[in-house]
Amino acid sequence: MIVVQAPYRVHGVEEVAPGLFVLSFDRNGLEFETGQYLSLGIPGHRKEREYSIYSSESDTHLAVLIKVVPEGAMSSKLVELKQGDLLHVSGPYGYFLLKPSLDAGVPLLWIATGSGVSPFHSFASTYPVSEYHLFHGTRTLNERVLVRDFPPKSVVSCVSGESGGDFHGRVTTYLSTWELDRSTHVFLCGNCDMIYDAFDLLQAKGIPAAQILTEVYY
Amino acid sequence: MKYFIMNLGCQMNQADSERIQSVLETMGLVKTEMEAEASVLGVVACSVRQKAIDKVHSKIHEWNERKQGQNLLTFLSGCILPADEDAFLRKFDVVFPIKDLSRVPELLRGSGIVTPLSQAPQPDATGMEHFWNVKPQYSSTFEAFVPIQNGCDKFCTFCAVPYTRGREVSRPSQAILEEVRNLVDRGYKSITLLGQNVNSYGLDKPGVECSFTELLREIGEYGKTSGRKFWVYFTSPHPRDMGRDVLETVARYEVLAKHIHLPLQSGDDKVLIRMNRNHSMDRYRTIVHEVRELLPDATLITDIIVGFTGETEEQFENTRLAMREFGYQMAFVAPYSPRPGAASARWSDDVPLPKKKERLRVLTEELHLSSLAYNQRLVGSKLRVLVERSDRKEGYLAARTEGKIPIRFASTDLTLVGQFAEVLVESVRPLSMEGQLL
Repeated sequence: MIVVQAPYRVHGVEEVAPGLFVLSFDRNGLEFETGQYLSLGIPGHRKEREYSIYSSESDTHLAVLIKVVPEGAMSSKLVELKQGDLLHVSGPYGYFLLKPSLDAGVPLLWIATGSGVSPFHSFASTYPVSEYHLFHGTRTLNERVLVRDFPPKSVVSCVSGESGGDFHGRVTTYLSTWELDRSTHVFLCGNCDMIYDAFDLLQAKGIPAAQILTEVYY
Repeated sequence: MKYFIMNLGCQMNQADSERIQSVLETMGLVKTEMEAEASVLGVVACSVRQKAIDKVHSKIHEWNERKQGQNLLTFLSGCILPADEDAFLRKFDVVFPIKDLSRVPELLRGSGIVTPLSQAPQPDATGMEHFWNVKPQYSSTFEAFVPIQNGCDKFCTFCAVPYTRGREVSRPSQAILEEVRNLVDRGYKSITLLGQNVNSYGLDKPGVECSFTELLREIGEYGKTSGRKFWVYFTSPHPRDMGRDVLETVARYEVLAKHIHLPLQSGDDKVLIRMNRNHSMDRYRTIVHEVRELLPDATLITDIIVGFTGETEEQFENTRLAMREFGYQMAFVAPYSPRPGAASARWSDDVPLPKKKERLRVLTEELHLSSLAYNQRLVGSKLRVLVERSDRKEGYLAARTEGKIPIRFASTDLTLVGQFAEVLVESVRPLSMEGQLL
């Protein structure tokens, strides 16, 4: 693993849904495996936060998806950055890796809540022809924009707070109705409550823990 | 001018202290164990532990009171959260993260400590490269800690090390091997390779630096060719990077101690997920099976946190069952406390303290059972032990086995301290044994 700590310049900040932003910045030759994350900081500030990489392995720039946490130490500052501003970037880190499962040729199921879709965006854009199912859970219809780049046939949008998605209810409720091949590798990313509930459901469906990869957002 | 250092951290912080001492002595300062006679007072702390932080505040309050009538300089180093540096700087004269060790003469000069030797030019190296180049003032004549790696990339949610010590950086292997050879040639008997994730050694420098297994192999080969008797330990490893090749290498060489530290933290898959440990219980179980297969006589040591955020009775029970299954010889069990800067500090610390204490008690009982069962198998065997000091029991010496089990035997011969001895195990208790010097 190569650790890079150097100033990176911001390319832009795009608000893709209320409170959700894509921050893009220089790649500076940083190599990563899709599914990994970076630690971001702002020069002059002492705190850092980790964000999953949203862009693909082949993109010329790096991008992360940021959910603004009003009382958070970093998110609101990061989304206020302007083109040309500097960032501290270190990484990549993490083991939420798709490649071993792709190589194994097993069925793939990706489950996310909210901005937890970020590493799956990187998965799908790095391997656009891969076969997978993505269950994405949100509270509102507005947040469905986060899956706009995925082929509709692969995505089930579960909206719990409003009707109008592919499924009205929690993503784990949808999972409970789904028939799974026991060789499926399941990737879970998002809040810990969803991951715990999904983990129990998957175990009950006979999926071994070794086939369940998790990335908890906090 | 005399200096005094108080260490409030782990073995890594002890290794930090030993190098800070060297730099201070290069400046012409003289060490004292008497706090009252020192003009330079330092704390090397693990500032991510609340207890250590409390002690730091208490100590600096005392020292600042003494400053009213004396000319004193105070400093703080070790594992310091960047966000805490400013607050500590209001109380200490100098605060520096350990990677800034090369700047210490300059920082002390800036605070009025000027000695003829402090005027030496800045060293060529900076950062961790300088830290590793400093020859430490070892605090023991027979046991040494050798840092081989600094920092952490694992981001366990209960830990702030990635923010206090930065990311994983491996020390050049040639420098490690030179330090180990030098220690062995000077007669050191116990050498511990240190790192936050010691078995991730080399992963940050692929193609440039050797792997952890290769490093162990080099040390093992030196052990064979030198003909000297010594034990080499390593701590702390991460289960994720504990490959079979590491265990096979430990099995192959006599000087690599048959003592495996394998932090469990929790025996429940879901708690491991919340801790971001990045391994399942099945993976951990596989490693333990490999330890038992390849190193049947090895002691197995672990670290466990009880009462982590959201830990249910059922999840704790899984940890208890795991302790029984793996039969540890020693376990460092700690009730969870949020560490400032760690991700979990943002979550509710929702397991009440009495519940944490009860869980600690239950696991301690489990540990006593497994430790006693292991020790009972050793009754009647002759073991090589390293003599450490006089025992609290008068007329006895305290020693440790290769697996670090404390053992005492009747003797007042202090020339044995720091030497290997043969002891016949006669009686055992949980976590300790008693024997007869042969």
